[in-house]
Amino acid sequence: MLAYTLKRLLTLIPTLLAASILVFLFVHLIPGDPAAILLGDTATPEEVAQLSAEMGFDRPLWIQYLLWLGNALKGDLGTSIFFREPVLSVIGSGAETSILLATMTMVWIIIIGLPIGILSATKHGTWIDQITSSGAMLAASIPTFWLGLYLIMIFSVTLGWFPSSGFPSLSDDGGITNLRYLLLPSLTLAAPNAALIVRLVRASMLDVSREDHVRTARAKGLHPSRVAIKHIFRNALISVAAAFGFTFAALISEAVVTETVFSLPGIGRLVVQSILRRDYPVIQGVILVIVVLYMVINLLVDLAYARLDPRVSLK
Amino acid sequence: MNAVSFFRNAFAGRKLATAGFIWLCLIALAAISAPLIAPFDPLEIDPVGRLAEPGWPNLFGTDHFGRDTFSRAIYGARMTVIIGVGSVIVALVAGGAIGMLSAYFTRLGHFLMRGVDVLMAFPALLMALVLITLLERSVFNTILVIGVVYATTTARILYGMTLKLKSEVFVDAAICSGAGHTSILFRHILPNLVSPLLVQASFIFAFAQLQAAALDFLGLGLPPEVPSWGNMLSEERIYITRAPWLLIYPGMLIVLSVFSMNLVGDALRDSMDPRFKDDIAGV
Repeated sequence: MLAYTLKRLLTLIPTLLAASILVFLFVHLIPGDPAAILLGDTATPEEVAQLSAEMGFDRPLWIQYLLWLGNALKGDLGTSIFFREPVLSVIGSGAETSILLATMTMVWIIIIGLPIGILSATKHGTWIDQITSSGAMLAASIPTFWLGLYLIMIFSVTLGWFPSSGFPSLSDDGGITNLRYLLLPSLTLAAPNAALIVRLVRASMLDVSREDHVRTARAKGLHPSRVAIKHIFRNALISVAAAFGFTFAALISEAVVTETVFSLPGIGRLVVQSILRRDYPVIQGVILVIVVLYMVINLLVDLAYARLDPRVSLK
Repeated sequence: MNAVSFFRNAFAGRKLATAGFIWLCLIALAAISAPLIAPFDPLEIDPVGRLAEPGWPNLFGTDHFGRDTFSRAIYGARMTVIIGVGSVIVALVAGGAIGMLSAYFTRLGHFLMRGVDVLMAFPALLMALVLITLLERSVFNTILVIGVVYATTTARILYGMTLKLKSEVFVDAAICSGAGHTSILFRHILPNLVSPLLVQASFIFAFAQLQAAALDFLGLGLPPEVPSWGNMLSEERIYITRAPWLLIYPGMLIVLSVFSMNLVGDALRDSMDPRFKDDIAGV
């Protein structure tokens, strides 16, 4: 296990470095003077010259990269053109919304996806299985923004049960009840992902149910529901748990569309708005943060997976 | 197993998947003969007849410019096919070439697959957004961006499959009888990958529709004047209560088409070579 952990850590670092080079090159791929691009249209020639000197834009590219990486490691991701604030604090202000949204979405995925998946697998081959697994596929085929628009129309505009947009921080008036702002968005984001989990739970339970130990359990006369839960589901849960981890990592960026539909002040909407505003330092910073988060979470999931299923680390 | 009998086996006894396949054929037909079917010019603006309810002669009503929604939906089918087929070609050609060559030439493969790993460190939608920032909004660029995103997953899948095939006896036999690299890759390995490639193509087609629609919605996809289902939803979203038909029809068309493509992919996967069954993760 230790050897496996070290091996995975060692492969993570070069990948991270390579990804950071791509993120760094992003600003250089945009036509024009990078200093002028980072400062925006309103910058004076003096400011451009000053930033150019600071970032070493006249020096060789690899020195610029090292300077940029050094700053990034210290938490300095530059200054937003639009907000005139450090990029890191701009990203930080969206973190609460994004993390809460992803967490609530995960809760829905588990509450909805797991039981339906188990049902579908245990009723394998029956009409219940056909309806649930085709239904899951249908749910995964719905564009999230379209679903979100209809949820707003039905539950916010017509019924008035939930707010249609925005999200005040939990530390504002209302406290924990402000989570109601995230109810519709999290359901929207959960729909396609819960559908994928249903299909996955079903597939992995069917896989496990073909294994020898399940046949033994059945042969010795255990009750079918006990076999389903203790022998099949528990083993299938290993790969399902890994899928939960990967899904969570992907949710931060998948939320882009949902956050836009519901006008949530999260990191996803920040990306889109920064692209439309041509706020390149923020785009660059957000990409870097999301990529690092995504890779670290994926690594943790892989390690947890190897811990749960010792066969993985022995390969 | 040739492609025709593979197809026939896949749909035998699967009514829903067959229905999906028929629906896709209809979409393809609409796409090809759009100018013949569409009763109006999809771009023609008619301020007097704006937001007309579905009826005659505007079967799906009109939008806030007075354009005929039915005609736009028909031309939208054309965009759907262009985006879908285009992304599939980019993803399969680029991803397939990288995956196959990497598995076959191990030293090159080590290098190439590391590059794929790096690209896969970027979540799919984020990568599409980053690439689109660097490019102008156009049909070609949307295809390119979505194709590149799915080329990475395709490369990884084909890498695994080619590795498996490479260790098969028939490849050894081909090497022994003096076949060159090109012959082994194209005449011995590639024909075995046709059915997995078809399965992968159908899932990419489905994902590409959702991605393209999402990009359209964010204002980062096709140019706004292009009549695509995603653009129709994006432009008319504020009329959701006043003119519900403007969102229902294009939305349903997207859902039905993506669902059909997923059903077809699922059916094809189930009748695929069992060696590869676990390699392709669709819906």
